[in-house]
Amino acid sequence: MSDDTDLARLRSELRAWLAENAPRGWRAVSNHAAFAEAQRGWFLKLLEGGYAIPHWPAPWPGGGRTLAEQRVIYEELARADTPRLLLSFVSTYHAAATLMECASDAQRARYLPAILKGEFWCQGFSEPGAGSDLAALKCKAVRETRSGGDVYVVSGQKIWSTMAQYADRCLLLVRTASDGPKQAGITFLLMDMKARGVTVRPIEQIQGDEEFCEIFLDEVEVPVADRVGEEGAGWAVAQATLASERGLTLMELSYRMRGALWRVSDLIQAQGKAEDVAVLRAFGALIGRVDSACALADRYLDRRMAGEERVGDASLVKLTYSRVLREYARLGVSIGGLAEQLRAPITFGDLNTGNWMADYMNSYAWTIAGGSDEVQRNIIAERMLEMPREPKGWVA
Amino acid sequence: MGGMSIELSELRDAAQKAFPADHLAPPRDTAWGAMAKMGWLMLPLSEDAGGLGLGRAALATIHAEMGRMLSRAPLVPALGVLRALESGEALADRSQWLERLATGEYIAASLDFTDASPGTLRAVPDADMASHVLVTGPGLVALAPTADATLVETRLWDDTRRLFDVTPGASLTVVARGAGAEAITARLREDLMLGIAADALGGAGAVLAMTVDYLRTRRQFERPLAMFQALKHRCADLKTQIEAAEALLLARAVEGARAQDIGAMKALACETFRFTAEEAIQLHGGIGLTQEHACHRFMKRAELNCWLAGSADALNEAAGRAELAG
Repeated sequence: MSDDTDLARLRSELRAWLAENAPRGWRAVSNHAAFAEAQRGWFLKLLEGGYAIPHWPAPWPGGGRTLAEQRVIYEELARADTPRLLLSFVSTYHAAATLMECASDAQRARYLPAILKGEFWCQGFSEPGAGSDLAALKCKAVRETRSGGDVYVVSGQKIWSTMAQYADRCLLLVRTASDGPKQAGITFLLMDMKARGVTVRPIEQIQGDEEFCEIFLDEVEVPVADRVGEEGAGWAVAQATLASERGLTLMELSYRMRGALWRVSDLIQAQGKAEDVAVLRAFGALIGRVDSACALADRYLDRRMAGEERVGDASLVKLTYSRVLREYARLGVSIGGLAEQLRAPITFGDLNTGNWMADYMNSYAWTIAGGSDEVQRNIIAERMLEMPREPKGWVA
Repeated sequence: MGGMSIELSELRDAAQKAFPADHLAPPRDTAWGAMAKMGWLMLPLSEDAGGLGLGRAALATIHAEMGRMLSRAPLVPALGVLRALESGEALADRSQWLERLATGEYIAASLDFTDASPGTLRAVPDADMASHVLVTGPGLVALAPTADATLVETRLWDDTRRLFDVTPGASLTVVARGAGAEAITARLREDLMLGIAADALGGAGAVLAMTVDYLRTRRQFERPLAMFQALKHRCADLKTQIEAAEALLLARAVEGARAQDIGAMKALACETFRFTAEEAIQLHGGIGLTQEHACHRFMKRAELNCWLAGSADALNEAAGRAELAG
């Protein structure tokens, strides 16, 4: 399926399906547990429709879609204002990519079908002392033979794990050696979040949500059979994991932001500012910026489809989206005035909710997580503009 | 600009070959002759009319290349006017007019969208080499010969451009009337916005490349300036803004794009160039303040571009209004 007619058919089929199946009233969900269940329900419904995992290969149900088809699917899901699959994001992207590219047949056979039954995964990468400098991670794993057999005994702390309180499994980076280059001592494990010694503590965020968690690991036994790749080869595996979130995600989010511009219009009308020239100018400038984020994400996908992706392209897309998302929320806060300083209930799982202060605070998740804006700038400067790296070996 | 068709990348390569980046702002009349010879003056003309039949994406590509090398030749108004005349239902001997334009005759148009001074066309590029200026009014598009017009050249900071105030005489050749004239005027404005936007982004890319080169070469504190993260991040932000604006330019360089969307893009493109040029001088340090260095020429062109074919304030306000109404 590749020509325009087939894409048009896919689009109209999906529209018809969404008219029947798109969840309504999901923004009204006011507690996290209900949100998690609604997320699982929507994922399973999408899977049944054949639209949940278009980026997986055939013959997985609904898999084997071209990038062009995937684009249509994400455009339509955004247009129909369906909830983002926040809780299935790590399982269907990061975990799936890791399993498909780097895992053993036995691991694939065990874990991929479980993901399609609605298992949620989380990521255990960052640590309090290893943020932008991820390779500095210290969470320690020692190989031992215990009652449970051949295991890694893992102790340490992970942080910024999205929705870890609802996760069944964790993509875990641990340190198995501390001599030699820091990347070389890292090993990649698949950890059962229900295992003994795992404690999850949600982090209360500035907007009142608890989307991120700390994970404390106290002598957790992870079977050696759940190691992905060789011991000490975890850094390379992690690169495959991280690469999987590039691309379509940001196209979807950019179009969701475009589709939510009506919230700014409504706010301007509600504030009686439809003739306020300064407000209109600021709104027009924002529209240009939002449209440019969409166009850039589109062009990035075009390049990928044509096999012309440049190193740093993904960073351009992420940096643009994150900055424009901040600008979008800031404009709402500014137009809304004092009323926006009155604390209002938040909506889970959406970045453009019309609660402008909450959206503003939430936008930091995109300027900091997944490689901060500063890390993206380094990549763009060093890899695209070929500006030299700073010398290593700083001594206090 | 990547992700482009083979046709467009060939056009870009030809432009870079004809006008290399290390020879900025070549003399106008020689450049104009070369453009005519390469067939650029009939680029958007339909193949039926003897042209190359290339659309707005090709125009954006070529105008970006001309911005990159600070072209002095008035290609933006020339190609806009060519398309206007091609649609001019009331224009007698239309095919002769088109042939004359395709082979080097120049008809100018105003780049001032404020319509602030009735009877006089402001900001008309290179009226000194024009045979006519295009006059647009309610329900009318016409050609006024420069021979019986008053031309007053304005002094500009930007020394790569020449702009004139033109007060046409009484004789007019009608190009279109009524709804046809309105449509031509609207499309001409879109073409001019696209042209200036492309020019701006070509210039932005060139001045950033020049700045990055300088930072990689210039050494202070026993290292290249390009190694300092404080400077790298500023360059990365500029690169990001340029790439995003370029992507939007290509998305809008299509027939059928709405005027307000082209306008918002034009505002973004020109602001991107303006800020890039501003940063370029600062990042060059003292050398950027000298007349002999090219930085200031990009900066002055960037500032002028902000006011040609609609200001950011006017265009953004229109885009905001349209979204509110939509």
